[in-house]
Amino acid sequence: MSCPKTQHLLQEYFSDGLTPLAKKEIENHLNSCEQCNDEFKFFLLAHSNMKGWKDQSVPHWDRGLELFKREHRSEKESMGFWGRWQLVPTAISFVMLCVLLLNVSVISGERGFFVSFGANSSNLQLQYQLAEIQEQYLVEMDTLVNQVGEWLDSNNVQVLQVVMERTREATMENLDLIYAYFEQQRLRDLEDMRISYQELVDSDYETIRSLQQLARFVSYQDDAVR
Amino acid sequence: MGLINEDEALIAAALKGSAYAWEKLVKRYESRIFNYGVRITGNTSDAMDLTQEVFLGIYRNLHRFRGDAKFSSWIFRIAHNKAVDINRRKRLTTTLAHTNNDEPDFLETVAGDNRYEPDKKLDDQQANSRVISMLARLSLEQRLVIELKVYQSLTFEEIADMQGVSANTAKTRFYTALKKLKTVSEENNVLS
Repeated sequence: MSCPKTQHLLQEYFSDGLTPLAKKEIENHLNSCEQCNDEFKFFLLAHSNMKGWKDQSVPHWDRGLELFKREHRSEKESMGFWGRWQLVPTAISFVMLCVLLLNVSVISGERGFFVSFGANSSNLQLQYQLAEIQEQYLVEMDTLVNQVGEWLDSNNVQVLQVVMERTREATMENLDLIYAYFEQQRLRDLEDMRISYQELVDSDYETIRSLQQLARFVSYQDDAVR
Repeated sequence: MGLINEDEALIAAALKGSAYAWEKLVKRYESRIFNYGVRITGNTSDAMDLTQEVFLGIYRNLHRFRGDAKFSSWIFRIAHNKAVDINRRKRLTTTLAHTNNDEPDFLETVAGDNRYEPDKKLDDQQANSRVISMLARLSLEQRLVIELKVYQSLTFEEIADMQGVSANTAKTRFYTALKKLKTVSEENNVLS
């Protein structure tokens, strides 16, 4: 004879959120009902047997990695405008590799860019650099010559100014000296003239006196003769 | 970081294209899914097919996972659907009966590992064979409800939601499955 409560009670016993009170009630019934108790014991045994499962190791498989990588690679390839920018590092690396393999030299100067390939690139590069250095050297020399010329001109002007200043000063001194000399000479000449005139006058006076004496003598003689 | 958060982090990284994150995510769940497959299909070959299909389904739908439910619940929902599909395709009941008679797969599966603790391996193999033998006598719905309740510890509400039935129907299926196991066990005892 089966118990009408068996199914309901066992369903509830294994259901979620069984309250302690409900569990106690079920256990009380199980203790009093042999059929439900047998069923319950078997269920526990079956449950226990099921739980006896030992996990088996998973056979080796690629875990979908190939598919994952392939699809994400193609996704990246079709990422549109911004996706293409992701290729920039690769492109740069490729260009660098080409530059290294082909021994490419790119020289930029005032005369523009100069690209050369292969082993000759070093000689050409040297020639190009030499030409540039020469050009620079000439330009620098011109600049230096101009600077030296300007510097010399400036120095000459200064020297001339100094010389002229000194010459002017010396000339002034000389003129003063000459003037003083001439003045002194003129005074001396005047004095000499005055002395000469004096002497002349004195001489004249003596002559006059002699003439007077002579005249007086003559006169006296005349008188005497008479 | 908790397991759920770690799952979410791995999912986010996998969605951004990290193969490492994807592999780690698969490693976390492959054993559970594979063993689920063995119990449901009864052989390792179909279990492996199921595992691959489940993870393919996860991969295809990963962007749809919103984190509303646990990732493990979401995975087992996919696994459940795949198991139903496989059963439909291969007429599992017949295959299981055949497999049960021959019992070829478990012996093959553990044969390679017998050099390490062979007695223990044999015990494990026998325990698993008993479980498979019992489950093989159940219908797919009953097997699935036993699997989800006993091994995955889902609530009857979760099982009902997964199977598209009411919680009471899920409980009834579980009870019926246990009753069937009892009958099978009694038959075996009589026969033996």
